Amino acid sequence: MTGLPVSTYVLSSGLALILIGLWGLLMQKNIIRMIIGFSLVDTGIHMVMIAIGYVTGRTAPIIDSAVSIKDAATRVVDPVPSALVLTAIVIGLGVTAVMLSYAVSIYREKKSLSIDDCSESKW
Amino acid sequence: MLKRLFIFLTLILVAVIFSDLALNYSEHSKLSGLAQHYASDGPEELGAANLVTSVVVTYRGLDTLGEVTVLFISAAGVGLMLRRREHPNSRAPARKPASELVETAARLLMPMVFVFGVYVFVNGHLTPGGGFQGGAIVASGVLLLLLALPQAQLGHRLIGFTESLSGFSYVAVGVLGIVLAGGFLDNRILPLGSFGSLFSAGAIPIIYTFVGLKVGSELSAVIDRFRSDESRPEQ
Amino acid sequence: MELFGSFTVLTGSIFLFSAGLGVLRMPDSYNRIQTGTKASTLGTILVLTGLAILHPAWTWKLLILIFFILLTNPVSSHALARAAHAIHVAEAEETVVDKLEEEENNAHAEEQP
Repeated sequence: MTGLPVSTYVLSSGLALILIGLWGLLMQKNIIRMIIGFSLVDTGIHMVMIAIGYVTGRTAPIIDSAVSIKDAATRVVDPVPSALVLTAIVIGLGVTAVMLSYAVSIYREKKSLSIDDCSESKW
Repeated sequence: MLKRLFIFLTLILVAVIFSDLALNYSEHSKLSGLAQHYASDGPEELGAANLVTSVVVTYRGLDTLGEVTVLFISAAGVGLMLRRREHPNSRAPARKPASELVETAARLLMPMVFVFGVYVFVNGHLTPGGGFQGGAIVASGVLLLLLALPQAQLGHRLIGFTESLSGFSYVAVGVLGIVLAGGFLDNRILPLGSFGSLFSAGAIPIIYTFVGLKVGSELSAVIDRFRSDESRPEQ
Repeated sequence: MELFGSFTVLTGSIFLFSAGLGVLRMPDSYNRIQTGTKASTLGTILVLTGLAILHPAWTWKLLILIFFILLTNPVSSHALARAAHAIHVAEAEETVVDKLEEEENNAHAEEQP
């Protein structure tokens, strides 16, 4: 279709994912569902970053039989957002692991996974 | 009730900001200046065919070192919070074994998964992939082992030793960069080799191998922590 | 030769369609798991074989793919079905024989004394 470029669609779906993840974070009571909301926000942010680095008509930043060294600068998309997202995915994994271990510890102490039962920090 | 109203208001305001971002977005038509420099000078300077690898390992190598540190801290945090209670007379709890079909297929598949993971992080400078992806594949092979053979025990000493040795070697290669070449984590301490072959791009395969080993052993330790230590009540 | 390859791909897609239809229409989980796995594995193998006939340069890669699918698809559905039986997922009312339950009862009865 000759409408909007591809990166606009990826950008909008990434922003929609962030919105859905925020809704899950704020409205859900179960801790595991909140962690899934965090994960959705992560994925949405990665999609937004990748969409910003895209240039229409260009290909992946790897030099092989498809792209030669000489015209690398005119034929590849931006490699920097890809590198940033590589880092961000791994960090998201580490953060999710820590959150899940929190959930397991809370369950061991209180035998319940609802956030309404964790009221020690409330005034 | 009031709380829900505030949450809806917040979400609507965030949605308004996002729609403003999405509607006024216009794509670039050429690369920015920094990306231009990375794409045009990167392959000759560093000898790596994968431009993303050359950015992650060399041009932005210090960020990668920080990320490896963050992974280590999160693994340490998981290990701290899910600490096993030390009972003096508890052995490995009795877990229900998986069926024989699953066990046979897992024994057949696991070496292939490990080999594939090692292939991905050794060839990080030629094909898409690299240390982090290869390490995650190796950890998923370990997960397959834990699911199919529930009574298997991982060698914790070996995993811990691999992890610390890889982390230390990563920093040691970086310091070698200061001594022998341009700066910290410079990859020209080894010859650049012929473009596109396995032994090219200087120290990038070595760095990525250490990163892959470290990430793989770390994620395996994290997955092992999450296994339940109390035996579940039999139904 | 090309006609034969296209015909194989068409047969494979018919099997895949019947797998989807079976997942929709079967009465309980165990039936759904069974139809989903059997029909979709065969459909995938036929499609890949037809592709190998149409593009002979890809034969070895497609053979390796077929090997992997044949190794993992049935085993994973077997593990899923056993897990579903272990947590007592409801069976359809027309069920007459439950071999796994009989086998587990026999195993328990043998362990008793």
